[in-house]
Amino acid sequence: MTGKAITLLAAAMLPVAAQSYRAPRADGGHPDLNGIWQSLSEANYDIEAHNAKAAMAVRPGPYGPVPAGAVLALGAVGSVPPGMGVVEGGDLPYRPEALAQRKKNQENWLTSDPEIKCYLPGVPRATYMPYPLRIFQNGTQIFIAYEYAGAVRNIYLKDPGPAPVDSWMGQSVGRWEGETLVVDVTGLTDQTWFDRAGNFHSDAMKVTERYTRTSPDVISYEATIDDPKTFTRTWKMSMPLYRRQEKNAQLMDFKCAEFVEELLYGAWRKNPLSR
Amino acid sequence: MTRAGELIVVACAAVIPLAAHHAFGGEFDPYRPVLLKGKVVRVEWVNPHTWIHVEVVKPDGSKEEWMVEGGSPNSLLRRGVTRDSLPVGTEVVVDGYQARDHTLLRANGRNVTLTDGRKLFLGSSGPGEGPPPDAAPLDKAKTP
Amino acid sequence: MSHGWTRIHTDILALAIAAPMWAQAPLSQTKPYAPPRMADGHPDLQGTYDLATLTPLERASGAKAVLTKEEAARLEAMAALVRARGDQAISGERQAPPKGGDGSTGPAGGVGGYNTGWLDPGSAYTIVDGQKRSSLIVDPPDGRVPPYTPEARKRLAALAARPTSDAQESNDPGLETAPGAYDDPERRPLGERCLLGFGSTSGPPALPDYFYNNLHQIVQTHDSVMILTEMVHDARVVRMNAAHLPGKIRMWMGDSVGHWEGDSLVVDTTNFTDKTRFRGSTENLHVIERFTRVGPNALLYRFTVEDPATWDRPWTGEFTWPATNSHIYEYACHEANYALGDILRGARLREKEAQQK
Repeated sequence: MTGKAITLLAAAMLPVAAQSYRAPRADGGHPDLNGIWQSLSEANYDIEAHNAKAAMAVRPGPYGPVPAGAVLALGAVGSVPPGMGVVEGGDLPYRPEALAQRKKNQENWLTSDPEIKCYLPGVPRATYMPYPLRIFQNGTQIFIAYEYAGAVRNIYLKDPGPAPVDSWMGQSVGRWEGETLVVDVTGLTDQTWFDRAGNFHSDAMKVTERYTRTSPDVISYEATIDDPKTFTRTWKMSMPLYRRQEKNAQLMDFKCAEFVEELLYGAWRKNPLSR
Repeated sequence: MTRAGELIVVACAAVIPLAAHHAFGGEFDPYRPVLLKGKVVRVEWVNPHTWIHVEVVKPDGSKEEWMVEGGSPNSLLRRGVTRDSLPVGTEVVVDGYQARDHTLLRANGRNVTLTDGRKLFLGSSGPGEGPPPDAAPLDKAKTP
Repeated sequence: MSHGWTRIHTDILALAIAAPMWAQAPLSQTKPYAPPRMADGHPDLQGTYDLATLTPLERASGAKAVLTKEEAARLEAMAALVRARGDQAISGERQAPPKGGDGSTGPAGGVGGYNTGWLDPGSAYTIVDGQKRSSLIVDPPDGRVPPYTPEARKRLAALAARPTSDAQESNDPGLETAPGAYDDPERRPLGERCLLGFGSTSGPPALPDYFYNNLHQIVQTHDSVMILTEMVHDARVVRMNAAHLPGKIRMWMGDSVGHWEGDSLVVDTTNFTDKTRFRGSTENLHVIERFTRVGPNALLYRFTVEDPATWDRPWTGEFTWPATNSHIYEYACHEANYALGDILRGARLREKEAQQK
């Protein structure tokens, strides 16, 4: 083999990381993930590739589905934008009975999607809700706060052992692999969804996240889903997280639990409003 | 405990300040006392209140599933309690009051015990309920 | 029963606490301590802290600011006694509790709440400057919240339909008597709605909860200090050396900005919503906090509260935040808030049945 060919071959085999951006170091000597970040994807609507739709809750119309009565008044505000999907390799590898459950989820979206009740979004959905998140990092602690519903995650840097009970945001244990923060999330309840399209999981799910700075204002985010009760194999999603660069960027109050009180409790007011 | 000792304990309870917390009296009905004897069929380790589901067999043989309200699980978790600490099938005795919405089989867990009267969850670490290995209490009284 | 209990209560307290003497407690002089430092040179305030304490916010009228070692020991022993008593086994052959309520007062509402084993209320009085404090409040010197302004009194009377107390109704123990107390979810305390913790867990000011879940976690970065309150998973972000948000932006925990004064972190919070209403205050509530590390395992936390529309003067409190190795667990609240729905449905059922009588 000629020298040139060897060089070309070697270049082709170089891992991408070796040619990529090197982030400034945070206290503790690891890449600095501090800041306010946000996904620009349409993943919260549907993590799979999808066309635009009239609404998330539809009913049969004379020429195809039309918005369900309960969401009709929202008009285009209630429609679903298209997305190229964030699931690597295309469609989700559901087990057959799980696929049937997803269909049921979609048909009962209004009463079943936990986002409607402002329930905590879980992992990984919290990452790609269309609202900012903030990472706090130094030599001894990593913590993520989400604007949506005030969700929070402490990332343990020392494994505390198995989670004693399940929780909405799970138990996160982090470690560094070179330039990547790897977070293992366990102890998740089965009550969160991946998106508004009924994609769901069981309480056996384990999530492995990978956060890698790829440029001054981008984190590459990957989440590997391991849930043998629901899927036939593990699968992965990936998307960039963009730095919110506005001078006044910050997490604001989005305590939506207050906003769903009429929905959840309005029927039991002393003088209920008309439903 | 002597009568005087009991009175001291009752009086002591008044010394401990209690912020205006969730008012149980609005949720449960003092005129509907209950005594439940049955086995645990499910535990919801959730906030703001743990709910212990107890299956009671009525005299006519039919079964009722009651939900018994407990406290926040978090303090228990810090003392080493886990989802395995109250196994399904455990026989329990509950006294309390039914929910004011008495269409529901729900009651407060005024006292939740095993059949021999031992309380389910103790304030101090009971046998088998040790704190997690790294929960060594630091000296709270220490200031220079 | 209740009559005798009240009498004995007074006797025991008289024994336990020395004859009331009005005494002025000096504001704390933090003893110099060289704290470990972050990379940017500022003190490292980080850690997980357990704010549980027996010390109430306010002192009993006329009580001293500082408990003697003996008084504190006696009271702490009494608390331990109540705890141990609560752990004792009872009869497995017991009967249902009495119809009409079991005589329990306060939040227990006549139905007895639940077993004390669920609680983690603190076992000791807070120590500041080597003193066992009888109240968090140190100024005014009587250790009590200053009086409401006349304006506040009027405002709060008008809000009486939105109670936060649990006054008992004589013919139905445990029910709040304020009109409309159960009419709507918005009438219920913020803690019951899972919007903020009971009392003022996150605040600011961050106060102890006398039931449980007093853990807080502090994470420091170059431009922020994040204070996590376990109940209800509230992350308050203090923006360092920043200006307050525009007046139009209001937050449940207000907007916190911080700066360092020597080795103390000073946090200034404004921009509260008009729904937070800490102790009946308005959206003009202003809270100043100071965090100072006073030892390897403790922070001194001092807070000043002011709202000229509510109190005729600012008031200040302080207590120690001891570090803990325990973990904060998720307090998800809203997601399984059976209680709120049960309370509202129960009130509607009661009204319906009263009508049918």
